[in-house]
Amino acid sequence: MELKFERVSKNYKDKKVLKGISVTMGTGVYGLLGPNGAGKTTMIKMMADVLRPTTGRILYDGQDIRSVGDKYRAKVGYLPQEISFYSNFTGRDYLEYSAALKGMEKSYTKKQIEELAYNVGLQNDLKRQCRAYSGGMQRRLGIAQALLDNPEILILDEPTAGLDPLERVKFRNIISAYSNDRLVLLSTHIVSDVEHIASKIMMMEYGVIRYINTSNKYIKMAENCVWLVKMSTEKLVEYQNNAVISNVIAKDGVMQVRVIDREKPFADAVQTSPTLEDVYLYIFNYLPEKAGR
Amino acid sequence: MSLFIFELRKLLLNRKTIILLLVLFALYSVIGFFTSLFLIGSNDTYKDYEMLSADYEGALDAEKAEKAKAVYDEISERYGTDSRMIARSIKDSPEIILAVKYKEFCERTDEYRNGTPPESNEEVYGINTLQSKISGLEKQGKQNTFEYKKLCYSLQKLTALGEPEFANILLWENLFTNWGEHMMQFLLLIPLAFIIAPVFAVERSSGMDHLVLSSRHGRRKIVTAKLLSVLITSTVIVMVYLIATFVFGFFPHASLHGWDAVIQSIPEYARSMFGFKVWQFAVVSALWLIFTGAVYSLIISFISSRMKSQISAVGISLAILFINVGLAAMGDSVIQRIQPVIDFGLANVTLIKEVFGGYKVFNVFGMIVSYPIMAVFVLGIFAVLAVIGIYRGQKHRTVV
Repeated sequence: MELKFERVSKNYKDKKVLKGISVTMGTGVYGLLGPNGAGKTTMIKMMADVLRPTTGRILYDGQDIRSVGDKYRAKVGYLPQEISFYSNFTGRDYLEYSAALKGMEKSYTKKQIEELAYNVGLQNDLKRQCRAYSGGMQRRLGIAQALLDNPEILILDEPTAGLDPLERVKFRNIISAYSNDRLVLLSTHIVSDVEHIASKIMMMEYGVIRYINTSNKYIKMAENCVWLVKMSTEKLVEYQNNAVISNVIAKDGVMQVRVIDREKPFADAVQTSPTLEDVYLYIFNYLPEKAGR
Repeated sequence: MSLFIFELRKLLLNRKTIILLLVLFALYSVIGFFTSLFLIGSNDTYKDYEMLSADYEGALDAEKAEKAKAVYDEISERYGTDSRMIARSIKDSPEIILAVKYKEFCERTDEYRNGTPPESNEEVYGINTLQSKISGLEKQGKQNTFEYKKLCYSLQKLTALGEPEFANILLWENLFTNWGEHMMQFLLLIPLAFIIAPVFAVERSSGMDHLVLSSRHGRRKIVTAKLLSVLITSTVIVMVYLIATFVFGFFPHASLHGWDAVIQSIPEYARSMFGFKVWQFAVVSALWLIFTGAVYSLIISFISSRMKSQISAVGISLAILFINVGLAAMGDSVIQRIQPVIDFGLANVTLIKEVFGGYKVFNVFGMIVSYPIMAVFVLGIFAVLAVIGIYRGQKHRTVV
């Protein structure tokens, strides 16, 4: 199975949100990282066939998804960024309605709803009205909805927003287990969500995909660029405006600062191994500035 | 559950709509009940009227006509000639009600024979008037004109229907007033707009369109499910209106007397060209209201499919209704200029009195076509266009 974006652009009036994206995705988990306004959600909406490109096309196994139509959408599971409900629906209603929209068999629907509700920890809450759910519960219900009917293509926009750390880990495990022989696209701001499970990570900015790499290759990109520096609070206040800092830990009145820089920032700076979060900052905060963008 | 059941739940089978329907049922029942009570005072008065009128039923009787006229003259001297004023003043006097009704019947019989100028100049009515117009056209050699065909058609229909006969149809008259006057449009079509308008707009306003549009059945099958639920919902609402006004219109006097009289016995339908019995016409009227309600609901659904909010969908649906009612209420000079808009606008086609109460015919490629058939055709086109527009809209719809 192959999903290919072929020079896909999207304009909203004069604003170019996507600028001729070309990318090919096969099975596996793809992480989509980028700052706000990078075009991640627009790309995801197009992949879910709820938004049409201004130019270019999206091909599913060589065929334009618009011409494949219902058959393409039958293979898609989609969790939008903003999850919504009908006011009078219970959790079970919501999942049953989604199953009906996906054209699932009735007997299969019941079994899968029980299974998914258990997986996302909502098995005791399905009779409650969706509007009474907490933000995290709504998110988990949305994830269960997206997983209904075992879609071949799973598209998740900010799936872990509002989830607590335990739920987030559980979610990652579900997606990892699920991703075999399937395409999962996971857009997020939270780097750790994709760090361990994504086979490839796309870094997106200003409507273009800047890099597509594995987590290890990204880490190699920022090798020799992450430093630990100890400094006073006053110095940190002055220093942080001109530097890319990925973390600060206060210890005994001294700040231990994690700095992203190609050059050793201070004589006493100690080099350390980069994490994907460091790489994210390196690409989106360090590189553009140094490149004069 | 199937998509259709879900859509029906969203639109009709939910607590809010059921409560609203119960409130509407209560309102319609009150209207049916009180219009019936205001028509004729107590139950005893009605029973007396029923007994008295039994002697008067049938063809026109000159002696009874004279008696009725004398009573009417006396009444009009006392209360004036305004029929509403008279009706309000005599509702507890069965003899006087009968005299007034019989006097009106005599006038209708006279109209049947001779027509009533000056209206006859526009829509010629009355056996003698029609015959004289037809012979006038024959003398001018205009036998091939549509005008000639129309007059012959009217004469043939009128002759076949025969002279009016008097019948006690007092309660049925009330029923058809409730079903066929402007009040119905406000009582029935406004709630219809409120209940149907969210059908498509709710997806946008709730943000559910992401889920719907990305799903396998979110572009076609869901439209079918929604449209079916719209049709069922509109039928249920119309049925609530029909049942409540029927049951509570007849309930105070516990009588269905006049059910087998001809529809021409009812003053508002005296000029109807259709040979219905009263009970048959009640069935036709109910079906007509269900049909026009369904077409209006499809138009509302189309508007809803183009709107981002439910309030806008309700607003535009009601604006269409009010504009139609407003146009139909314009002066004759305006109406004449936009006659087709008036004839097939919502205001007229939803009024059974307008569609079935007259003898309006249309010239379609030289053929005479009656108003109900033309209305079915035009409303059918509206419905088909709305449905096509909804399917196409959903196919190409995207989220923002």
